[in-house]
Amino acid sequence: MNVLPCSVNTLKGLYDISSVEVGQHFYWQIGGFQVHAQVLITSWVVIAILLGSATIAVRNPQTIPTDGQNFFEYVLEFIRDLSKTQIGEEYGPWVPFIGTMFLFIFVSNWSGALLPRKIIQLPHGELAAPTNDINTTVALALPTSVAYFYAGLTKKGLSYFGKYIQPTPILLPINILEDFTKPLSLSFRLFGNILADELVVVVLVSLVPSVVPIPVMFLGLFTSGIQALIFATLAAAYIGESMEGHH
Amino acid sequence: MSNMIMASSSKTLITSSSIQSTPKPPKFQLPQFSTLKIRNHHHHQNNKTPILTLNSLKSSAAIATAAATVLTMAPPSLAAEIEKAALFDFNLTLPLIMAEFLFLMVALDKIYYTPLGNFMDKRDAEIREKLSSVKDTSAEVKQLDEQAAAIMRAARAEISAALNQMKKETTAEVEAKMAEGRKKVEAELAEALAALEKQKDETIKALDSQIAALSDEIVKKVLPI
Repeated sequence: MNVLPCSVNTLKGLYDISSVEVGQHFYWQIGGFQVHAQVLITSWVVIAILLGSATIAVRNPQTIPTDGQNFFEYVLEFIRDLSKTQIGEEYGPWVPFIGTMFLFIFVSNWSGALLPRKIIQLPHGELAAPTNDINTTVALALPTSVAYFYAGLTKKGLSYFGKYIQPTPILLPINILEDFTKPLSLSFRLFGNILADELVVVVLVSLVPSVVPIPVMFLGLFTSGIQALIFATLAAAYIGESMEGHH
Repeated sequence: MSNMIMASSSKTLITSSSIQSTPKPPKFQLPQFSTLKIRNHHHHQNNKTPILTLNSLKSSAAIATAAATVLTMAPPSLAAEIEKAALFDFNLTLPLIMAEFLFLMVALDKIYYTPLGNFMDKRDAEIREKLSSVKDTSAEVKQLDEQAAAIMRAARAEISAALNQMKKETTAEVEAKMAEGRKKVEAELAEALAALEKQKDETIKALDSQIAALSDEIVKKVLPI
C-alpha cells in the first residue's frame, strides 16, 4: 500500500536532483507584452562584457600593441578577413555587422557554458546563454535577411530581383523559398545547437556529477565557437552572394 | 503553429520543478501527469480494500499502462493545464534583442571597429612608408659605397705613384752610387795599370841596360880578347 507513495517520493527526489528545465521562462510584463527576462538579463551581461572589454582595450591604442589591444586587433583582423573572403573587396561597411554578429553570438554561447549562472536563482526558469532562446536567434537571423536585401538593392538597384529567375525562370519558386529558408535555417541551427549542447551538459551533470561531463563541456565550448563562426560566415556569404554580379 | 509545438513539447519535457500553476493533489507534489491522477484515484479505491492483493496489483499495473497510453495521447486541454513549456515562444523579447543587437553594433562600431581599424590602417601605412624610405637609403648607401670605392682607388693610385717614384729615386741613387764606385774602380784600375806600365817600362829599361852589359860580358867571355 505504501509502495506507490514511496516510489513516487523517490521519483520526486530524482526529479529534484535532475531538474532539467526546458522552455521555462522567467516572464516580465512590459506594457501588456511578455518578455523572457532571463534572456534579456544575460544579453545585457554579454553586451556589458563586450563593450567594457573593448573600451578598456582600445581606449588608448599603442603603436606596439599591449596584450589586450593585441587580442582585439587579432579579433578585428579575423573579422575583416572573414568578411573579405565572403563579401569581397567591398567588405568595409559590413565589418560592424558581421563582427557584432560573431562577437555577440560567440560571447553569448561561451557565457552560457562558462559563467556559473546556477548561483543566481531566478523565481522561475534559469539563466543560460541568450542564444538558447529562439527569440534571440530569430532576432539575429532577421537582420541578416534585411542586410542581404539591402546590400543587393543598394548595389544593383531593382535589377537585384533578376536573380530570382537565374539561371532559369523555372527556379523562381525555389529562389523565393530560399529567402525564407535562409533566416529559418540560420536561427534554428544556432538555437538547436546551443540548446542541445546545454541540455546534454545539464543531463550529464545530473546523471554523473563529476568528471564525465567535462569532455562534453569542452565539446560544448567548441560547438559554441563553431556555431558563432558559422552564423557570421553564412551571414557574410549571403551578403556577398547578393552583391556579386550575376551572369 | 508555435502553440501546437508548445503543446506537443510540453508533454515530454515538463518536469516537477516547473509545475506550480495547477491545483495540487493532496498527497503528491509530483507533476500532474494524467498517470498520476489515475494512480491516485486507484490508490483511493485500494483504501477501501485494505489488503493489497496480487490481483489488485495486476489491475493497477493494467491501469498504469492504460494511463501511460492516455498520457501519450493527452488531449491539448491537459497540456494547457500544465504550464506551458514554451520552447518556441515568440514575444516582445525578439524585437528587444534585435534593438539590443543594433545598439551593440553601433556602439562597437563607435568604440572598437572604426577607431581600432583606422589606427591599424594608419600604422600599416606608416610602416609601409618607413619601409619604402628604408629602400631609398639603400640607394644612398650604394652611393656612399661608390664614394668609398673611389676614395680607395684614388688612395691606391697615390700609393702606387709614390711607390714608383720612390723606386725611381732609389734606383737613380743606386745607379749614381754604382757609377761613382765604377769610376773610382776605373780610376784605380787606370792608376794601377799606369803604375804597372811604368814599372814595366822601368824594368824593360833596366833590362835594356842589363842586356847591354850582359851582351858585353857574353862577348868578352865568348870572344877571347
